[in-house]
Amino acid sequence: MFKKILFATSATEASDHAARVAFNMAGTLGATLNIFHVLGVPTRGFSQVVLDVKTKEEVAVDGEYISWVEEEIKNYYANQLANCANCSIKASVGVPHREILRQAREIEPDLIVLGGTTGSEEDSVYKASTGSTLQRVAKASPCPILAVNRPAASFWGGLSNIVFGTDFSKASDKAFEFAFKMATSLNGELHIFHALDITPKNMGMSMPQDEIDHKIREAYKMIRSKYISKMKDFKNYSMNVWEGIPYVEIVKYTREKQADLIIMAHNSRKLDADGPKIGSNMEQVIMRANCPVISVNR
Amino acid sequence: MKKILIVDDDPNIRDYLVSLLEDNGYTTRTAIDVRDGLKIAKEYKPDLITLDLEMPGEWGPRFYRQLSQDNELKNTPVIVISGLSGNDYAISKAVATLSKPFDREELLNIIKENIV
Repeated sequence: MFKKILFATSATEASDHAARVAFNMAGTLGATLNIFHVLGVPTRGFSQVVLDVKTKEEVAVDGEYISWVEEEIKNYYANQLANCANCSIKASVGVPHREILRQAREIEPDLIVLGGTTGSEEDSVYKASTGSTLQRVAKASPCPILAVNRPAASFWGGLSNIVFGTDFSKASDKAFEFAFKMATSLNGELHIFHALDITPKNMGMSMPQDEIDHKIREAYKMIRSKYISKMKDFKNYSMNVWEGIPYVEIVKYTREKQADLIIMAHNSRKLDADGPKIGSNMEQVIMRANCPVISVNR
Repeated sequence: MKKILIVDDDPNIRDYLVSLLEDNGYTTRTAIDVRDGLKIAKEYKPDLITLDLEMPGEWGPRFYRQLSQDNELKNTPVIVISGLSGNDYAISKAVATLSKPFDREELLNIIKENIV
């Protein structure tokens, strides 16, 4: 299912846990792994200097410096590369999300793997939001992206116990096709989950319990008609609808199921320009999940 | 005598744990991987399990997931002993997580506190 994986890395600690997932996936699934690093330009305009990731100093960029960075990446991942049959390393110069998307268009990967934000721990937004590169890549990516934002979300030995979180949107239908394909091709288990949003909206009025129960029944009907009916002979699944704050419920459900992977869609078109570019639920799930999260865009 | 199952693919760790635990009055059995571990757990019914995370084939969290689906074994305390970074996140219901190399006294105390 995944023949080619693009692993966009900062080659720092922020990407270590994503690296564990990327290398393990490539190894287990026999995929080629394209390790890609962007030397960020410090200004929006044309620039001859880049910021060195480690020293945070501006460095004049030339072919020699790029080869040196590629060599550094090779050393950084030396242990993993020793066991990786089909890995390549490439460094490029530019604005990270743009270069990652350019590389994705060029090599047409089946999946892009991204790590956590490189923002410093002292930065107040460090733990409150995903990195801007992740958001921008997720929004425009031609293929699904897999995000590993915290050490807990790293690889713990499998990718076949899958939670598919749905809001019944069209984008979720696409994500379902992807999740189902993944569950069948990996001979895994698929947990279909809908979180009924009961956060008080109208002047702080909370939803009456009868209405919650009714909506839960409706959601089960939707799951049966939209997804279960398409799964034919596939029996290794479960479905649940829980009420609450959607992202909290998805994270709780995943923990309860001891799942290895969450697959969700994000509806980037509907989004408010000032908010997160991948939807607040998706963003919070990526931030909080204790397993990798795949965001399906189209 | 209380029974402890040791699941680890590293023979040195298995031997070390067997002698440490038997010297301290426990009986032990060992398993080299997840499949072996589950098979032994079902017949041996251990009072506690020590579990490595990264093993050939399936990993420790898979073992725990299958253990927790077995009514007779689901409440068996599990101590994770692993060299992986961030290992305390791997199995949230584990009674403790120790990083290799671990302190023998610490392990014995955790076992004493958790073995029923």
